[in-house]
Amino acid sequence: MNEIVVLNLWQFSLVYLLLIVVLAIMKKCQINQTKLLFVASLRMTVQLVLAGLILTFIFENPHPLFTVLYLAAMTAFAIYTILSRNKEINKRFKVIVAVSLAGTGLSIVVFFIMAVVGVSLFNPQYTIPLSGMIIGNAMTGVGLGLRSFRENLSAQRNRTEALLSIGVSPPKALTPLVNESLETALMPTLHAMIGMGIISLPGLMTGQILSGVMPMTSIMYQIAIIIAITAVTSLAVFCSLHFGYKTLYNKRQQMTY
Amino acid sequence: MKNLFTLEEVAFEDVTFPPLLEIKKGEVTFICGKSGHGKSTLLKLLNNMISADSGKVLYLGNSIENYNPVQLRQEVLFCRQATYLFEGTIYENFNQFYRYRELPPPSKKEIRHYLDICAIEFDLDADCNLMSGGERHRIYLAICLSFQPKVLLLDEPTSALDDATAHEALKGIIHHCEEHSIDLIVVSHNTTLTDTFAHAVIRLENKSCSNQSIAYSVDADTHARLEGNKP
Repeated sequence: MNEIVVLNLWQFSLVYLLLIVVLAIMKKCQINQTKLLFVASLRMTVQLVLAGLILTFIFENPHPLFTVLYLAAMTAFAIYTILSRNKEINKRFKVIVAVSLAGTGLSIVVFFIMAVVGVSLFNPQYTIPLSGMIIGNAMTGVGLGLRSFRENLSAQRNRTEALLSIGVSPPKALTPLVNESLETALMPTLHAMIGMGIISLPGLMTGQILSGVMPMTSIMYQIAIIIAITAVTSLAVFCSLHFGYKTLYNKRQQMTY
Repeated sequence: MKNLFTLEEVAFEDVTFPPLLEIKKGEVTFICGKSGHGKSTLLKLLNNMISADSGKVLYLGNSIENYNPVQLRQEVLFCRQATYLFEGTIYENFNQFYRYRELPPPSKKEIRHYLDICAIEFDLDADCNLMSGGERHRIYLAICLSFQPKVLLLDEPTSALDDATAHEALKGIIHHCEEHSIDLIVVSHNTTLTDTFAHAVIRLENKSCSNQSIAYSVDADTHARLEGNKP
């Protein structure tokens, strides 16, 4: 196995030429998102350069505090992203989503890093990339689950009111909507598992193989991380929705949304 | 005898009800008035789907806020104007509703009985999706009726029905309720039905022209007992 080829900056910049292809297609199909393409590419580049610089600094000065700070910033940003996309939900619901995402995300991170990989939680080389994958996927899952739940809730408003009016308790009327949204949030992860290794080598495995890790080691990491992602997605969405829906009615069992 | 419901100086959002509003036990009470004057709001107040912003709602002499809301709604059942049915057949719909109410499914004979009351001729395995709005609403009414509440609140039960069917269905429901001493409170804008079936009429009418709150006059206590419908 060879060590990874370090990209030459000039050769690397060739990849940006591919964006011209995207631009051409957009022009041809009259998709007015050229500005977004430009902004997105720029943001990605700047954010990753920053991440690269910060990680270089942390790896050279491996103080536990840096790892903890990085983890906290990542979690906070994930929570912020979800809440800014779901402004309509009430305050208590938002708190529940934030606590669920942070609580389940960090628990799975601790279990994964300390028990499965078996290194210190303060080892930035493991904790930062792996927790990024775990918390990032939890964020996607909760975002998907929340959106589906909100859509379900407004689409099924008549049903909910009809059931409450005849003496069905709000939990009994609402849990089917919670369960349906949980299923929606889990489907992408489950479908991704099915195609894994056949259609493409997944990201983590690709990275490890590129840097010279034995394939059998990299598949173990890959399997472990996918199971961790499935677990964190179901846990985070379950906690968010299962505790969150209880904020939608008051003590008199009246809907408040 | 205690009133079934008493409303004392009740207001909810921009609707202000008359200072005293009484609904007696053992009568078929109709609530009339133009749309937007709080008819549906009144029904929702009566089974605590909403709570009054101010004033008191009494059920059998006790504040409605002292009752367990879910048990109260099983006792004072509110059949909404907007029909809700699940996907599937009539039989499946009865089963689904009973499952949500955590009751054992009703027998086919019982279901047939309630369908007959509401003038529905379909088989139990007829698909509700293929029915008209009026037919679907009568099935919804039959389901509500089958729960045997003590008080039944009907919001515009006949708005989707032609006059003859409306008359037949309502007659069946009222007859059943009288037989089983279920108190019936009906919101309707159909004056013919009101004249035919009402024992008492509550009129919610716009009196003042203020934008903020609407006041009403009421002639509930006139007990407009009309000929031909004395129990």
